[in-house]
Amino acid sequence: MNKIVVDIDHLADLARLELTDEEKATIAPQLESILAYVGKLAEVDTSEVSPAAYITEAKNVFRADDIKECDPEIRARAVEAFPKKVGSALSVPGIFEERTE
Amino acid sequence: MELSNLTIAEAKAKLVAKEISATDLVSDCVKQIEAHDEEVHAFLEVFKDDAFAQARIVDKKRTAGEELPELAGIPIGIKDNLLMAGKRATAGAQILEHHTAAYDATVVKRLKDAGAVLMGRLNMDDAAMGSSTETSHFGPTKNPWDLSRVPGGSSGGPAASTASRCVLGAFGTDTGGSIRQPASLCGVVGMKPTYGRVSRYGMIALSSSLDQIGPFARTVEDAATLLRIIEGRDEMDATSSYLDETTLAEFLKFEDVKGLRIGVPKEYFIDGMEAEVEKRVREVIALLESHGAEISEVSLPRTNVALEAYYIIQPAEASSNLARYDGMRYGLRATGESLADTYKITRGEGFGREVKRSIMTGTFVLSAGYVDAYYKKALAVRQLIREDFDKVLKSVDVILTPTSPTTAWPLGDKMNDPIKMYLADIFTVSVNLAGLPGISIPCGFANGLPVGFQLIGKAFDEATLFRVGHFYQSITEWHKASPWDK
Repeated sequence: MNKIVVDIDHLADLARLELTDEEKATIAPQLESILAYVGKLAEVDTSEVSPAAYITEAKNVFRADDIKECDPEIRARAVEAFPKKVGSALSVPGIFEERTE
Repeated sequence: MELSNLTIAEAKAKLVAKEISATDLVSDCVKQIEAHDEEVHAFLEVFKDDAFAQARIVDKKRTAGEELPELAGIPIGIKDNLLMAGKRATAGAQILEHHTAAYDATVVKRLKDAGAVLMGRLNMDDAAMGSSTETSHFGPTKNPWDLSRVPGGSSGGPAASTASRCVLGAFGTDTGGSIRQPASLCGVVGMKPTYGRVSRYGMIALSSSLDQIGPFARTVEDAATLLRIIEGRDEMDATSSYLDETTLAEFLKFEDVKGLRIGVPKEYFIDGMEAEVEKRVREVIALLESHGAEISEVSLPRTNVALEAYYIIQPAEASSNLARYDGMRYGLRATGESLADTYKITRGEGFGREVKRSIMTGTFVLSAGYVDAYYKKALAVRQLIREDFDKVLKSVDVILTPTSPTTAWPLGDKMNDPIKMYLADIFTVSVNLAGLPGISIPCGFANGLPVGFQLIGKAFDEATLFRVGHFYQSITEWHKASPWDK
């Protein structure tokens, strides 16, 4: 496999990850060496196999979509863990940059 | 000190006979923690008050003649990626530094129901990424056998606390060797169960198709006891399996290994592995053979590409799992100009170097243009690895290998070379890729440092691993060695 040149800024954007210049300088060559290393897989003949995402024989499980009460203590702790809240509601930044109301 | 040296089986017998109280036992473990953990740093937090309170409850019930559950009064440690309601849960990561768990992991709930005394939260690599516990945001754990060396990882805290006699057993998680490798480096027993044997509900996920929770203990018998408490179907984890009722006696019923077919894969004795490590493992093979086991050389030809497949699949799944740490519902939240900036800054501040590199790797192998050549290719190789194991496990009952190619290495030695660090897991990752059970058992020392061997079995055949391991410990003494006896 050819040497991969990583576009570190594009990748960091995709990953929603801010990296300092120093981190980019460290991570980019490490990533390239990791990709060169794992690229060895290209040599394995997999033309006859189907990819295995899961390795167990487990089948999908279905259940009724019943609404269950949350334990009040669990609920209180989950609310307590919100980084920002209004009353017991989770407060998040708006997702639209411009509003037309 | 004396009581914390007991195995779980021994402590249980003494508790039931009322020779000791749960309070005595907890008290000795706390003394041991106070004597050693400042240096070893296996604990992120010790639940001293809770532990004594739980011990007193057990003692009171016992005095009153009440029937008590299986682990009543037994001090156990918990890796800090398993949620305990109302306690911090950091996964060794800065982004969760102040996070309090809202609920109990199923494993934790089952331990509480079994009466176990939860002694504290145990250190681990940042988000369980690492093989040495050096990437923890809260500082490294040291190997109790040599404080200048790593305990292995990512479950360095569970391994080191069990080895240092601060707890009688502990729970960790294993995605590519994170239970077995530190168990080997610290001289204790560590088991990764078959994928699906144990519910992952309430575990802070790293790589969901590879992760399993499993026990650390000083004996195979204790590991079997601990696994029985936590295993089995849980409706909160759709991948958890229905199991037949098992008893400890069934797990351990081997009296010898006559006629047991043990396969030794030639690919697991490689150049670059420490000669003394190989010697110790060869001694195990010879010993079992002298007791009637039938040893044969087997081949797992894709061993040489397992690590490559693993370091595509694991970061791919991790980059998806860690997407939830965006600062919205829990953890740190920074403020940026746009929402995208808020995500980026939050994650940039909250994740450590190793985690960032892994997220970037995972993002790359899943990105358009590369997903077929990397991720899908790795899944196909995973299928081949599984077929290799299936084939071999038709002709042998169990596979025996070294757990790690080396003993514990000096702190800092591999920190700047990810591939060198990855090679520490070369004998363990295949087992996760194939979803099989594996156990590491101490088998002596190389230059004063513990060595472990690994047994790999058929899916859901933990019993054979326990039986062989228990038999081995019944004819050897390695598991009795303590780092503090030197």
